[in-house]
Amino acid sequence: MNLMKYYYKRIAASLLLTASIVGQVKLSVNTIPTRVDVHLDGISLGSSPIRNERVTPGFHKFEIKKKGYAPLTYDLLVNPAQAVLLDFFLNPVYKVRFKTEEKGLVFELNGEHRWDVQLVRLELEAGNHFLRVFKIGEIIDEQTILVDEPKKFNYYLKKPLSEE
Amino acid sequence: MLKPFFNRIALIMGSTIILGLISGCSAFRGPLYPDIIYNNRQPLISVTYEYGEIELILPIKYDAAVPDNILFKVFTQGDTLHPVISILQEAPKEFLAYLPQGVLDIQNSTNLIKIIPQDKNFDPVIVRFKGIRFGRILMPPKTIRMGQLIVSGNTFLNKNDSTLASVDISLQSYDNIIHETQSNGSGYFQLAIPGEYRYAKHLRIVAGENLIFKPYTKKLDFSQVRKLKMDIGLGPSDEMKEPLYMTNKNNVHFRESPDIGSETLFLLEEGEIISVTRVTPGEYHGFIEVDLDDEKSVQMEGWIERVDLRLVNLHNVYEQTAEY
Repeated sequence: MNLMKYYYKRIAASLLLTASIVGQVKLSVNTIPTRVDVHLDGISLGSSPIRNERVTPGFHKFEIKKKGYAPLTYDLLVNPAQAVLLDFFLNPVYKVRFKTEEKGLVFELNGEHRWDVQLVRLELEAGNHFLRVFKIGEIIDEQTILVDEPKKFNYYLKKPLSEE
Repeated sequence: MLKPFFNRIALIMGSTIILGLISGCSAFRGPLYPDIIYNNRQPLISVTYEYGEIELILPIKYDAAVPDNILFKVFTQGDTLHPVISILQEAPKEFLAYLPQGVLDIQNSTNLIKIIPQDKNFDPVIVRFKGIRFGRILMPPKTIRMGQLIVSGNTFLNKNDSTLASVDISLQSYDNIIHETQSNGSGYFQLAIPGEYRYAKHLRIVAGENLIFKPYTKKLDFSQVRKLKMDIGLGPSDEMKEPLYMTNKNNVHFRESPDIGSETLFLLEEGEIISVTRVTPGEYHGFIEVDLDDEKSVQMEGWIERVDLRLVNLHNVYEQTAEY
């Protein structure tokens, strides 16, 4: 009797597995760079590239994290297709040294990050950042800086940032 | 004795130098800002879908005749107004269509193929089926037949036009019964036979084999139409005056006069009605009705031996063996 129950359970489990596979979409994930942890709806799929995973049609959330790159979150409505292939290009974070000879200045980046020292090491996501310079509480300069590699910026009052 | 002391001094000095170097380097490089500064740049993401294909296969068979062309229409999700695909082609052995993934209802059989032969002898055929997400659907073969031939009408008594119910009616080719039925309580009947008999030359309708009268027989011609309407009058007409007799066997001589050697006008079948007007000890004189081609009839007079006749009771026109 117990043996029969065991077999019934195994058959039921097989049927459920089959039913869950039928109707799913084959999922592949590529990332640049590779070997990135990929999470789907909070569950780890492992390290990229991901191959032959299954996902049900509907809304899903992808989260991708790697040290040295900006974390990425992507909401996707998966269509009822045969397969879906996702390519993620992660944005790197570069180490930047920011130096000035000027005194009494306060620097603000992207409206929220502030410092007042003459030399600081920053970790900046690649791309444009908005720099604002204050002196005694007043804005005295605004610039957009482009970060596309590790570099050192020298700031001179009311002059474009120079790179070393 | 002094060795441990010098070792300790060396260790302290070394540590001091290393710390000095580290702090010196740190001061030279500047402090590290505690947060990573993001600019929320839109990441580059590429999404590529791969859609499957549905291969729809419906083998087609033909019974007796093949239409020249067939229009196939595929409807999905119960929408019978807008086909997802229409294909007009020469009558194929197999209908093949490719559909994109996702168009079919995969839960219920609300998808259908409408097969419309481009020939008025054939009726459209509908095949319902349940869909799949993608892959191949091989359906069981569908046979395309010529449309049914239908004959319908009412049965009534010629004498007074009253309804005659439960009259046996059959369609026959030569003497083979193709289909038979009985008129209902209102005298209505309908017979349908396969379209392959459309051009049969010896197709006829026979009515009233369960009545005392001679059965009604008429040749049918479906070459121009597929539906015939036919009201069938049975028994003698109102023109035939009583008393009415009928022949009680086949091949009864209907003669010109009662004299010996008189000419035989007709050989009458069993059930032929005679309206008797004169009686002699051995023979009756009367009239029979002879049907003409234009559905009219004429009366002809003649003589019949008494032993070949029996009196007709119009109150019960059904054969006594039947239970009505």
